[in-house]
Amino acid sequence: MKLRYHLFVIILFWGCKERLPVVDDFKNLSYKLTNQNNQEIIFPDFVKGKIVVMNFIFTNCPDICPLSSNNMRLIQEKLKREKVDNVQFVSLSFDPENDTPEVLRKFADIRNLDLSNWTFLTGDKFVTNAIIKKVGVMAVTSDSTIFKSGRKIYYYIHTDRIQLIDIEGKIRKNYKGSTINVDEIVADIKKL
Amino acid sequence: MKKELLIIITLIFTFNLITLAQQSKSRNSDIQIQKTWARPAVKYANSALYFVIENRGGKIDTLIGAQSNIAEETEVHESFKKDNDKIGMRPAGRIAIKPKSEFEFKPGGFHVMLLGVLKDLKIGDKIEAVLLLKYAGKIKVKAEVRDMPMTKEMK
Repeated sequence: MKLRYHLFVIILFWGCKERLPVVDDFKNLSYKLTNQNNQEIIFPDFVKGKIVVMNFIFTNCPDICPLSSNNMRLIQEKLKREKVDNVQFVSLSFDPENDTPEVLRKFADIRNLDLSNWTFLTGDKFVTNAIIKKVGVMAVTSDSTIFKSGRKIYYYIHTDRIQLIDIEGKIRKNYKGSTINVDEIVADIKKL
Repeated sequence: MKKELLIIITLIFTFNLITLAQQSKSRNSDIQIQKTWARPAVKYANSALYFVIENRGGKIDTLIGAQSNIAEETEVHESFKKDNDKIGMRPAGRIAIKPKSEFEFKPGGFHVMLLGVLKDLKIGDKIEAVLLLKYAGKIKVKAEVRDMPMTKEMK
């Protein structure tokens, strides 16, 4: 009777550690992009075999994208503290016309971000649009500012998203980037 | 005993002076600006200034704008949610600060946009800006550039 009870408890707890469903899949897809060091990168090939935590940004975004990127940093730091490795962080710009590799590099440097396992990506607008469309992220231009110098910058209404991708390139869960619960995504990463 | 009392009074007086010096006040002291900080930004990129406005007075005041010498443009903006998971940003217009209340400018909400900063704003740098209030007038604000607070602190 005791043995049955113990088995029941073990099965119950095993069941609680549920698997994350597959939301979408990058299978057979490949996109040519450029990283913050101006090196050509094939996504998602370059992260093959790694769990990926990805967000979608534009660097002229003064409020939400830095918030989302800061949450990426908090996730990275927590994983490091808990000695969870094999996780790659990716920030894809949906404003590649402004976000050159140099701009992305400076965005990371001024925030002292650890780029040892974090890559910023930009590229041809057609390619970045194809990726965000694939993953269900929307980004449309809204207001703009024209400076006295004539320089014009755009702002976007965009999906506030951090995305978890497994080692096989399958999207497993979406989170709100600016308000994500760091403990939740770290627990989810451990399930993969 | 008298000497100890004098030391305590001196300490309290000094502490109050330091506290007052850290706060930005309006001419009539009804408006206090506290918890100021700004985001890091690369030269010509955008930063944002955050703070809490406290109206200790008995009548409403209104934030009508902001100025700074560290950016090409300075505007009061608001981040807003759309369709549950989308975020945008728009000019905030005038913001009423009710009597005996606080109004927080925080990430994901209201903020002062520093558009096209004229130099790199690195963590630890100090910046200045001016808030324009209808009744309190111009209030000088000093802020430190720093990393984001933890998410939990912002809720």
